[in-house]
This record gives sequence, C-alpha cells and structure tokens, in this order.
Amino acid sequence: MSALLEIEDLRVTFRTRYGEVTALDSVSLQVNAGETLGIVGESGCGKSITALSVMGLIPSPPGKIAGGSIRLNGEELIGVSPARMRALRGSDVAMIFQEPMTSLNPVFTVGDQIAEAIMLHQKVSPDQAFRDAVALLDRVGIPSPDRRARDYPHQLSGGMRQRVMIAMAVSCRPKVLIADEPTTALDVTVQAQIFDLLNEIQRDFGAAIMLITHDMGAISEMADRVAVMYAGRVIETATADDVLDLPQHPYARGLIDCIPTLGRADHALKEIPGVVPPLHLLGKGCAFADRCAYKFDRCDAEKPLLTDHGRHPVACHGAEEGRI
Amino acid sequence: MSFSFLIRRLAYGLVLMLGVVVLNFLLIRLAPGDPAVVIAGEMGGATEEMLQSIRAEYGLDQPVLTQLWIYISNVAQGDLGQSYFFNQPVASLIGQRLGPTILLVLVAQLLSILLGVFLGVIAARKPNGPLSAFVSVFSTLGYAVPVFWTGIMLIILFASTFPIFPVEGMASVRLRDAAWYVRGLDVIHHLVLPAFTLAIIYLAQYARLSRASMMEVLGSDYIRTARAKGAGERSVLFRHALRNAALPILTVAGLQFGNLISGSLLVETVYNWPGMGRLAFDSILRRDYPTIMGGAVLCLCHGGGGQYPHRSELSAGRSAAAGPGMSGIRTTGPRRRGAAAAGQEGANPLCAPGGGAFTPGIFQARKRAG
Ligand SMILES: Nc1ncnc2c1ncn2[C@@H]1O[C@H](COP(=O)(O)OP(=O)(O)OP(=O)(O)O)[C@@H](O)[C@H]1O
Ligand SMILES: [Mg+2]
Repeated sequence: MSALLEIEDLRVTFRTRYGEVTALDSVSLQVNAGETLGIVGESGCGKSITALSVMGLIPSPPGKIAGGSIRLNGEELIGVSPARMRALRGSDVAMIFQEPMTSLNPVFTVGDQIAEAIMLHQKVSPDQAFRDAVALLDRVGIPSPDRRARDYPHQLSGGMRQRVMIAMAVSCRPKVLIADEPTTALDVTVQAQIFDLLNEIQRDFGAAIMLITHDMGAISEMADRVAVMYAGRVIETATADDVLDLPQHPYARGLIDCIPTLGRADHALKEIPGVVPPLHLLGKGCAFADRCAYKFDRCDAEKPLLTDHGRHPVACHGAEEGRI
Repeated sequence: MSFSFLIRRLAYGLVLMLGVVVLNFLLIRLAPGDPAVVIAGEMGGATEEMLQSIRAEYGLDQPVLTQLWIYISNVAQGDLGQSYFFNQPVASLIGQRLGPTILLVLVAQLLSILLGVFLGVIAARKPNGPLSAFVSVFSTLGYAVPVFWTGIMLIILFASTFPIFPVEGMASVRLRDAAWYVRGLDVIHHLVLPAFTLAIIYLAQYARLSRASMMEVLGSDYIRTARAKGAGERSVLFRHALRNAALPILTVAGLQFGNLISGSLLVETVYNWPGMGRLAFDSILRRDYPTIMGGAVLCLCHGGGGQYPHRSELSAGRSAAAGPGMSGIRTTGPRRRGAAAAGQEGANPLCAPGGGAFTPGIFQARKRAG
C-alpha cells in the first residue's frame, strides 16, 4: 500500500550570509492514513522546515526546495502550480503552528478566521460558515463558543488560541494534519488537554497526524511511528515502541534517557553533552560525531545513511558495525 | 482624559496662543514694507498727506503696543478686523477661502493615501523587485522635488502639451449659471492638477511607509497562517496584512494633515486656487496685516489650542479605531511596529532623509511656523 503522504529524499537549502546551507538533506518520511507519525529532534534540526515543505510554505527566498519529492495521495506537490497548492492547503493538508500567541490575525475575530478557512474551500454562505465555525469551537472544547467566536485573539488565553488553531486546521477535514509542536508555548496541564483533543480529533475526523515535538512523553502517548531527526537528516525511524524501547542511534538513546521517569526521583536526569553544530559548519562526516561517546574514525570520514541493520532503519556507523 | 487634564491643556493652549499672536504681530511689524504705501499704490500713487490719512484711518499711526492691545482685545471678542486690501471683514474672507482649501487638502490626502498605500503594498511583495526600486526612487524624487516645480511641470504638460485639464482657479466663469452638477464636475475638473500636485509629496511618503510596514507584517506568523488556510495572494496582502500594517500609516496620516495644509499654500499659489494659502500669500505681499494675523490665528486654532496631542496618544486612539482587536496589544504592537518601520526606512539608502515625518518635534516646529 502506498502511503498517504510520502516524502522522499527531500533537500531544502537556505541562502545565508555563510553561503548556501542545507537545512534538510535526503529526508524521507511516510505517513499512512489514520496513523500518527511523531517527529522528534533538537531545536533547529529541521522539523518545522519539513512541515513547511509539505505545506509549500518555505519562505522563499532565502529558502528553496533543492530536490526530492513530496507526494500527497500520489500527487506530486513539488513544482505544482500555486493555484493547485492553495486548493490543497487547508483542505487536504492543514497545519497547526508552534506559536499560538502570534499565529492568529489580531484584527479579525476568531470566528471570522475559522469561517474564512471554511469559505476558502467549501461553497457555503458566510452565515453558514460562521455557524460551522461556532460548532467547531464547541468541538474543540471552547466554552460558550457563540460568544467566543466574536472575540479577538488577544481576548483568549494561549491554550484557547491553540484550540482555535486546531478548529481552523480541521475545519475542512484535512487528510493530513501537521501539528508543529502544538504545545511548546503552553503550560503543562493545557499540554495534556491539547494532546487529548488531537487524539479525539483524529478519531472523529480520521486524519493522519504528523506530530512534531521534542517531548518524548508525548511521543509515547500519541505516536504510532517515530522519526528522529538530527541536523537536517532523519537518523532513525521505527514504530514508537521500538524507538522507545530499543533506540539504536546514540542520539536517540540520549533523547530517551532524558525522559524523566515518575517515581524514580533518585535517578539523575541525563543530558546529551554539546550542542547541534550550525548548519554551515557541517562536515563530511556524521553530524553527531562530536557529541558521540561511541565515535570512531569512520564517523568523521563519511556520512552514515539510513539503513536497516536488523532491527529498524538507523543512520549510524557504530550501529552498523555492532559497536553500540 | 480627565476633566482637570482638559482644563490644563486648554489653559496651556490659551497662553501659547497669546504668545504666538503677540510674536506674529510684532514680527509682521518688523518686516520692511508699509501697508499705507501698498494701499495708496493700489489707488494710484500718493502724496505724503494721503499716506498720513490712510495711516490714521487704519490706526497705523498709533504706537505698535497700542495697536497690539487693540488687536488682542478685538480678537478676544471674536473680531479679526477688517482686511486692508479686500475691504471686508477678515472673518468672512477666511470663511470664503476655507472651503476650497479643505476640499483641496482632503482630496489630496485621499489621493496620496490610496495611491501611496497601493504602491507600497505592491512594492512590499517583492522587496527586491523592480517595482520596489521604482517606488523607492519615485518616493525620493517626490519628496525631494519642490512642490511648485512639480506644479509648473504639470502645468506645462497639461496646459500646453496636452491641454486636457484647466490650470487656473477653481471654476470656469462661463459655467457660472449652469446646473449644479455641471458646476460640480467643473470643480472636479479644476481640482485634478492641484490635488495631484499636492498629493505627490505625501504619496511618496505613504508609499515608503506602507512598504516598510507591510514588509514587517508580511513576515509575521498570522500571515503564514493565512497562507496555510489556502488564502490567495490578494487576500493575504489586502485583507490580512494591510489591516495590520495600516496602524503606522493612519498615525502618520493624522500628523501629515497639518503639513498638507502648509503645502497647499504653494499649490494654491501656483494654480491660483482660491483658498487659504492663496489668501495668505496675497495678504503677505500686500502687507494686509489683519488678514495675515487672521490666518495665523486660524492655524493656531487648527492646532488644537496650539498643542498637538502626543504622538503615542494619537496612535493609541487611532489603533483603537482601526480595529477593536488592537486595543489589547496597542501598548506594544503599533508603536513597536512604527518604530521598526522608521528604522527600516533609515536603513534604506534609497530613501529620502524623511525621518522628519516621524519626529513629532520637528513636525510641530514646522507646523507652528506655518
Ligand atoms: N529563514 C531561514 N533562513 C536561514 N536558515 C533558516 C531559515 N529558517 C530555518 N532555517 C534553518 O533551518 C534549520 C531548521 O529550522 P527548523 O525551524 O525546521 O527547526 P526546528 O527543528 O523546527 O526547531 P524548533 O524545535 O526550534 O522549532 C535551522 O537550523 C535554521 O538555521
Ligand atoms: Mg520548529
């Protein structure tokens, strides 16, 4: 069966003052109908850029999709006409952004903003669209939705705004819903509610979700499969259980060791030493090599490719040679 | 605004007004030229005796301080005096001339905002594109070229090369008895060139300002959201972005209004438009003291008791008007954006040194002088 959303060898470059940098390099991902794919990785590893590539929203210039393919339902999205892309955006593939505080337009009521999304893709009257918007607000758990629909974004809390964003994103029942760190800007209790809501939405609307997060806890709750990204590449991909229980890549292990475990207060939290190298300083070797405890000669000499060495695909020379 | 605040501001305005009246009065007397000679000249040469009698008639033989006192007490009673030259009360003279000026200024303001913002928006779409460069160059030129030069060039173009617009006055004499709508169209016809001439300088400023403001807004998250919904480019630009970018534009539009009125002085002179500017020009040439003073007093009243509200008060009030949703973020939003817009302008080497438009101090000084 071919996947609903297939990303293959995607390469995205940015023109910067250090010259052209490669923000994404041969990224391949698949999202099947109805499943949740988790994408994890440190800040700056290219998660949002991956999502924006699917939406056709890479800021250009300076960004550019330099190669690869993105297929939605078998339809190639790279190089598609702007009109076609607009028709798909919001209706077949929708996105919830990382920044709920600034992602809503301050001069329109939230009801109008959701109604606009509906009217862009469905032939309904403005009144009907507004009523649908109120119903959606109700669906995402906003109290007294008909009053709230007439509110401006600044009158709502961050959690409320993110609910509005979710309502807007699912308003046209997209096949793929991209949630880019939907909870990073929110406090912990609200985070759990938003994840619950996403789960319900997925059940009701049958959308496939691409969930971007650095919260491994959320991954274990939500995701069916996981892709771990590092410095613009996918370095490990498998089912959520496999990655959580048997991570292969030292970086993935590090990430999982960072999860605090309830009831083990004595257990000191680990951290991964060092930081992600800036994109323009990436050498020809493995980008993680400088932070890796298992590093050997080959790691500096050639880039590991994502290959299956028995368990699941991982991009690590150490895992390939059984050193880890 | 509390009541005591209003009282304080009013009192301040009165004191300021008095000061400016006194200063203007003395300044005009200091300037060379004798109204009696001008008046006598109009009547066809004069002997010293005639001059004496004219001076006596107009009270010009009194000591300057006495004249000042009489003037102030008359103004306090609402009497602006009698024009030496036009031979009618200054107040009614101003009444006749105010309408045409307001018409000219309003139309010019509307033209410059509509065209300027449109150009700015289009330019902001592709900040490095040819249209953007054109807007920058055009803005610099529009801002730097003196308005009377533009006026004269347009007159040459549209009066001799392509004679399609009238270049003189506000209405055709031969249509005096025509139906009201014919006369209305005639006024509009006459208005085209003066309004456009006056609009050009300000148009350029609006284009620059809205370009900067739009560029800032177009980078914001909610614009990305609008695109993610599938909104078209036109809707993104004019619906989602422009409403937000309008705040600094509205602020400047309010401040610019006073500048437009002083600009209209030149335009009215070039096109012989029967407004306040033309009146001021004529009365200065003719040493028509009461009319000059009347104009100055009027300018003061326009200034809201001589003092403009502080720029931020203005922008806060206007942002509330632009959209109720703004009231919550107005403490940071519009001002920060305005500042950033100004900053971006400064960074653009192609832009005219027009920082003055953003500087209330300079603006007010200029306004009061005019
Ligand atoms: N406009 C841009 N110009 C230049 N480089 C960019 C631009 N946008 C993103 N990048 C680069 O692309 C890389 C990936 O950015 P991206 O936003 O996808 O990170 P992320 O994984 O979403 O991080 P976070 O968890 O902080 O959201 C970053 O290292 C960044 O340097
Ligand atoms: Mg991100």
